Amino acid sequence: MILSFFSDLFAYEFMLRALAAGIVLGILAPLIGSIVVVRRLSFIADTLGHFSLVGVSASLLLSTLGVSVFFEEPLFLGLIFSVVGGLLIELFRRSYKSYKEISMVIVISLGTALSAVFFSKAKATGSIYTYLFGSILTVNNYYMYAILITFALVALLFLFFGKQIIAVSFDETSAKFLGINVNVFQLIFMVTLSVVVSVMLESAGVLLVSSMMIIPVAAGMKLGWSFRSTLIIAIFFSELSVFLGLWMAYSLKIPSGAAIVSVNIVILLLVASIKRIVQKRQIAKMDKETS
Amino acid sequence: MQIDIHNLSFAYGHRSVLNNLSLSLAPGDYLVVKGKNGSGKSTLVKCILGINPVKTGMIFFDHEDINNFSKWPLFGYVSQKFEEFNYEYPVTVNELLSVYSLKNTNQSYRLKLLDQLGILDIINENINNLSGGQLQRVFIARAMLNNPEVLILDEPTASIDKLNTEYFYRTVNQLNGQGITVILITHTDSLAHMNYSHVLSLNLDMTYQFQVRDKCDLEEVEKI
Ligand SMILES: Nc1ncnc2c1ncn2[C@@H]1O[C@H](COP(=O)(O)OP(=O)(O)O)[C@@H](O)[C@H]1O
Ligand SMILES: [Mg+2]
Repeated sequence: MILSFFSDLFAYEFMLRALAAGIVLGILAPLIGSIVVVRRLSFIADTLGHFSLVGVSASLLLSTLGVSVFFEEPLFLGLIFSVVGGLLIELFRRSYKSYKEISMVIVISLGTALSAVFFSKAKATGSIYTYLFGSILTVNNYYMYAILITFALVALLFLFFGKQIIAVSFDETSAKFLGINVNVFQLIFMVTLSVVVSVMLESAGVLLVSSMMIIPVAAGMKLGWSFRSTLIIAIFFSELSVFLGLWMAYSLKIPSGAAIVSVNIVILLLVASIKRIVQKRQIAKMDKETS
Repeated sequence: MQIDIHNLSFAYGHRSVLNNLSLSLAPGDYLVVKGKNGSGKSTLVKCILGINPVKTGMIFFDHEDINNFSKWPLFGYVSQKFEEFNYEYPVTVNELLSVYSLKNTNQSYRLKLLDQLGILDIINENINNLSGGQLQRVFIARAMLNNPEVLILDEPTASIDKLNTEYFYRTVNQLNGQGITVILITHTDSLAHMNYSHVLSLNLDMTYQFQVRDKCDLEEVEKI
């Protein structure tokens, strides 16, 4: 089965495209995900996915109605909605320092409801499935370019401002004493996160975008001893699950987001249990030595 | 740096904490802030650092209004219990200090600082595995890293043992000897090992005494 997967992988253009998209997302997701974890923004990543979904479904509805919004591609309206949503959240967070999670729940529910209405009126209920659970095998060239451009921008951002981003993420107060404009950095990160979420939407699915960002990082944190090692391990696990997930999605005909995240979870569980066993052994050994 | 505070009042919502407080520090002064829990010591330094926005009263640094001030890298700050820090994600002491170093800080100075603070041996440890005392000294090192002109320490020795506390105060004295202004909050430590120049005592009823060293009644202050 895996052999035919490999031969198909290079035989079909759509498979190569899916692989390329997967490899890039495999780095991008845990890279952004590690900052999301440090800053405890997982819930916000989820919310942004729902914003993005409203844009996607609205775009589908508009094209059904014959209104052509600057591009036919739903990705673009999804991206705009996600970024606007991100800016609103950031504004909200600043005005209400101790903002309630309940407002996020309202936003998520509203997003889900609106999307459902738009999807059904667009007579595109079939694509709900794609956007809920991800379909990396059907991504087109537009999508490929969007992923590559996003990756290039994020890579540049981390190359030039990685230190500042990390400083702000761990400790906003102390970042100020490096002369960093903390608000500007938070805004930049929120916009970046919004873009990445909307770009990941089609292959990971709205329900699984934040999982794909966070679960490999969680596994990395179990094994990592430093920031660098944790990130490298997370990227390794992420790539592994993208690859295995792609294979499962293709051969079992299941949604790619679901497949990738399932592999992610299996890895996390394995890592957690192995770590536990090793730790127990060590403690037992130490007890023996002392007694 | 010259620090001038004029008639500062501060409240969290309806909870008034500081009332009409004024003081001036010249470059190289060493101020010890004493007072019971809840008397507003942390609140005062957060006002000075622009973390608490000042609405009533004025603060000047070298005669520049705090609202126009932008040279924050001149300050080093160790917050009380460092609760602002996001823990859990693995990061080593060395990584942490690199991230919070300005470009011109050199590695040998960093090592010397860690040695002085007695934490050189944990440089490659994950900070999430450190004891409270070790962590506290890591954050002290971080505050001193970029050669600040003003060092603000909020109960910096709260979880450090007695011997290391003494070393620590010696280090602070040395830095102060090099001309760095020090503002140090403590409500437990004796002033015996400190080369302080001024004492500010805050009371729960929002009154305060600001005294220069020679004129202050040490016994009274130690009682707080
Ligand atoms: N962020 C805050 N919001 C509301 N009240 C606060 C806050 N921080 C401190 N307080 C209150 O202000 C008073 C002074 O606190 P603080 O400055 O921390 O005192 P100290 O450092 O002298 O122990 C206390 O009554 C405390 O409960
Ligand atoms: Mg305090």
